Amino acid sequence: MTSRISSQRYAVDDYQQALDLCYRRGWTDGLPVVPPTEPAVRAMLGAVGLEPDAQIAFITNRQVAISAEKVAINAVMAGCLPEYMPVVVAAIEGIADPRWGYHGPATSTGSAAVLTIVNGPIAKRLDFNSGDNLFSPGWRANATVGRAVRLVMRNVIGTMPGRLDRGTFGHPGRYTYVMAENEAESPWTPLHVERTGCRATDSAVTVMAALAPIQFYNQLSNTAAGVLGTLCDTMKYPGQIGQPNYCVVLAGEHMRTIAADGWSKADIRKFIFENTTNTIAHFKRTARMPGAIKPEDETAPRPLVQSPDDILVVAAGGRAGSFSCFIPGWASRTSSEAVTVVIKERRA
Amino acid sequence: MAGFEILDPTVEPRRQPLTYVPRPDSLKGKRIGLVENTKFNSDKLLRRIGDILKTEYGAAEARMWRKHNAGVPAHQEILDDARQTIDVVVAGIGD
Repeated sequence: MTSRISSQRYAVDDYQQALDLCYRRGWTDGLPVVPPTEPAVRAMLGAVGLEPDAQIAFITNRQVAISAEKVAINAVMAGCLPEYMPVVVAAIEGIADPRWGYHGPATSTGSAAVLTIVNGPIAKRLDFNSGDNLFSPGWRANATVGRAVRLVMRNVIGTMPGRLDRGTFGHPGRYTYVMAENEAESPWTPLHVERTGCRATDSAVTVMAALAPIQFYNQLSNTAAGVLGTLCDTMKYPGQIGQPNYCVVLAGEHMRTIAADGWSKADIRKFIFENTTNTIAHFKRTARMPGAIKPEDETAPRPLVQSPDDILVVAAGGRAGSFSCFIPGWASRTSSEAVTVVIKERRA
Repeated sequence: MAGFEILDPTVEPRRQPLTYVPRPDSLKGKRIGLVENTKFNSDKLLRRIGDILKTEYGAAEARMWRKHNAGVPAHQEILDDARQTIDVVVAGIGD
């Protein structure tokens, strides 16, 4: 790679001065960053085979072109290893996809975070956590890939809290919100294969504009319907209406119980779809929909999502514990939908 | 540690020249376009504004379009139709 790095350079005496500069300029997420030096940025670009001026994506609303160089700089700052770069690039492509609808989830008062699900062999190779403490700190890949995406959103796309980003509550997942699917122990077809038809030996990231995970507990059932019945009861009421996607994350104990009944992911989705339907009357009564309640509203069905396929089922989380969780998507079907991008490990 | 250089992680958005149509001196006889963004009650709010512009400011008519969702600009069909049929646009958000 010989192309010139074109970003402005700032001379600093030492790490502390570099850090002070990054804070002063508003380039961090509040945590210290790794100083983005040219050798570190070139290593990041080299790992994916991209020239600095290669365009990764274009955000129409902001009229911003996202170059490989800027993604690499922010990935260095986030603490990524160079080999994470293909995952970061694919996630950026995902949030720039018109189906993801960048402007809404990035700026809305509704405060979505970028839930990022890594599938395929790259997840194990780079040590993405898919098991115990799924969303906890401690795994460099999970921690820094999500952080890199958020720094790109902030520094490149201009998604600044308090300015273009007007989240009412924001989201702790805006530091990072990354998991891998536990493909080694899952009895089911991996998410990326289901969604794109790619091979299980391919790797992919799925990005979903998402609210916080909501955990549910079922220590009593030894049937798929029993476990998922608790999930549906918990899932049916919270949140908004008309959300585009839900992600259901089934951890070890529940995964084994459901699989023992021979249920596929398609069976799980169908059950959830059929058992989370509300009535229009309920939504009007609880002021989630406008208008007076008409007699027919009492029986008029309002499914949680438009189709069972809008429910993303992922096997992940600890082996022990009678817990699983679901993650509501942000806003509505016309505003944003989950996007899966197959990872290209080498671009050139 | 010897001194070193760090690279700027930010970009400036591409600048686009924006040209506004001059504001009319009066709304008398003007055709008003209302662009509704799908938020609850934004249609009611805009319809009320349209009524006020007609009754109190003499606008000739008011018609409404609905965007695909609140997070996107007005789509091409709205723009094309608006160019042909109205003189003034009111767009609003309903949060």
